[in-house]
Amino acid sequence: MAETLRRVLEPGRTAEPGEENAVEADPPLLLLGGPSSGKTALLFAAALEAAGDGRGPVLFLTRRPLQSLPNRTPAALDPLRLQKIRFQYPPSTGELLRFLCSAHETQGPAPALLLLDGLEEYLAEDLGPQEAAYLAALLLDTAAHFSHRIGPSRGCGLIVALQTPEEGDSGDALQLSLLQRYFPAQCWLQLDAPGPGQRCLRACLEPGGLGPRAEWWVAFQPDGEMTVTPWPTQACDPSPNKGSSSGGQP
Amino acid sequence: MAVALAAVTLPSVVEELLSEMAAAVREGARIPDEHLLSLKFIFGSSAIQALDLVDRQSITLISSPSGRQVYQVLGSSGKTYICLTSCHYCSCPAFAFSVLRKSDSLLCKHLLAVYLSQVMSTCRQLSVSDNQLTEILLMEKKQEA
Repeated sequence: MAETLRRVLEPGRTAEPGEENAVEADPPLLLLGGPSSGKTALLFAAALEAAGDGRGPVLFLTRRPLQSLPNRTPAALDPLRLQKIRFQYPPSTGELLRFLCSAHETQGPAPALLLLDGLEEYLAEDLGPQEAAYLAALLLDTAAHFSHRIGPSRGCGLIVALQTPEEGDSGDALQLSLLQRYFPAQCWLQLDAPGPGQRCLRACLEPGGLGPRAEWWVAFQPDGEMTVTPWPTQACDPSPNKGSSSGGQP
Repeated sequence: MAVALAAVTLPSVVEELLSEMAAAVREGARIPDEHLLSLKFIFGSSAIQALDLVDRQSITLISSPSGRQVYQVLGSSGKTYICLTSCHYCSCPAFAFSVLRKSDSLLCKHLLAVYLSQVMSTCRQLSVSDNQLTEILLMEKKQEA
């Protein structure tokens, strides 16, 4: 799902020939960042992006309702796009698992994009490595089932946001490297030096071994407006990953 | 093999081997010994154990009218395990330890048996209702807990 996120970060980008239908080549993406690093805002922007391109609905899973629309762009205020975003609020890990296990029982058009915000809150319920792997595998399996329902030409994407664990916690590092197995594409968000009244972030997208790594500078104004500019250099050191000992990086 | 391997796709060498084995089966030929040796080379003792599971028809493909599918493998100990093939997941302890934790195996014998049974078209088929499939997937969670 690197492509959806790339379109959020590069407005006006058009898919290269063959890219649009390359579902297989657009693996599930893990959006990683510390607290208040704009993960929800980027997920919501991805939801709006997918809702605007004439495809099926977008399913947004989160533990609690968003307090306000995270970004006030024209797209965010477009009722036709907002109508296509369906929110579900599984209150516990058990309820999230039940939702994913029974996703094939739901009627209506299958979602074109499945989003989960705050995976760390569900993992916090004392999930062992295998249970965490089952949750990740069920997310992929649910997206694969939605893809099957949509048909062969276009699949259902999957983006999951996870608050990065504190460095030095070996249990969390194991969990992160385990999740990275299931999410080959990753986008790291790091807080950067803020400007006056702004919150600034560095977004580093690693699309999972296919395309080149790319970086952007994302700034949030006090009113929630998000501006994105390409990072001056295209080389990036994914330093937040150094906490995971075995590492998911080649 | 210290680097965590992606759980979404099989390495291309395995994909190639499986598709060559599938081609041999389609033509009605025996699977050539060299393919079986390659399998042993890549997967070690799991290859023999997986072939044994296939011979015993221990793999069941469970599907519901929705089109969702899950594999159930009856292990040599008599326990059944759930395998998802949309990504690599098996509920057995070897998968948790050797594949997820240590990253020193590509697949457990149950997942390999699922792929081999697909190649050899020897899966047993079981149709259940959508609701029953939900319960099978949820049961997995309850067993772990």
